[in-house]
Amino acid sequence: MFATLSRQLKNHPALIPLLFFISGGTAMSLMYLARLALRSPEVSWDRNNNPEPWNKMAPTDQYKFYSASIDYSKLKKNGPDY
Amino acid sequence: MAEDIQAKLERYRTAPFDARFPNSNQTKNCWQNYLDYHRCQKTLTDKGVDIAPCDWYKRVYKSLCPISWVTKWDDQREEGIFPGKI
Repeated sequence: MFATLSRQLKNHPALIPLLFFISGGTAMSLMYLARLALRSPEVSWDRNNNPEPWNKMAPTDQYKFYSASIDYSKLKKNGPDY
Repeated sequence: MAEDIQAKLERYRTAPFDARFPNSNQTKNCWQNYLDYHRCQKTLTDKGVDIAPCDWYKRVYKSLCPISWVTKWDDQREEGIFPGKI
């Protein structure tokens, strides 16, 4: 498959940027899906050992990329311990 | 710690921001506080301690949850078919 690919690219070098952008885009999408699957606090792969993964976040953890108005460093745990 | 909670309860206006649930979908927030209230009640009554601190969770879930959900879950708990782990 790679032999065919490199032969085609040698014959039509204008296709190289196309390959770049398509593979870059695919890689970015797959990485985002992997981030969601592995890092999202709503995802639990093992229901017996990890039933409520969002409770493992500290009050200052920021999951979203950009926070306009909330200053995460000032947050504290809300409810009492029991 | 208990006086802290009393002060917080007196100043309570609405459910504060919770970093565990940063998005606009707050259903898990409602569910978690409902569970926390009942778990807190159960743990503190087993220990024989005053359950006043648990009221924080009650105020939060009352602010967040639709009343129909709360009555449905209360009925489920009564019948013993509540799906959450308390």
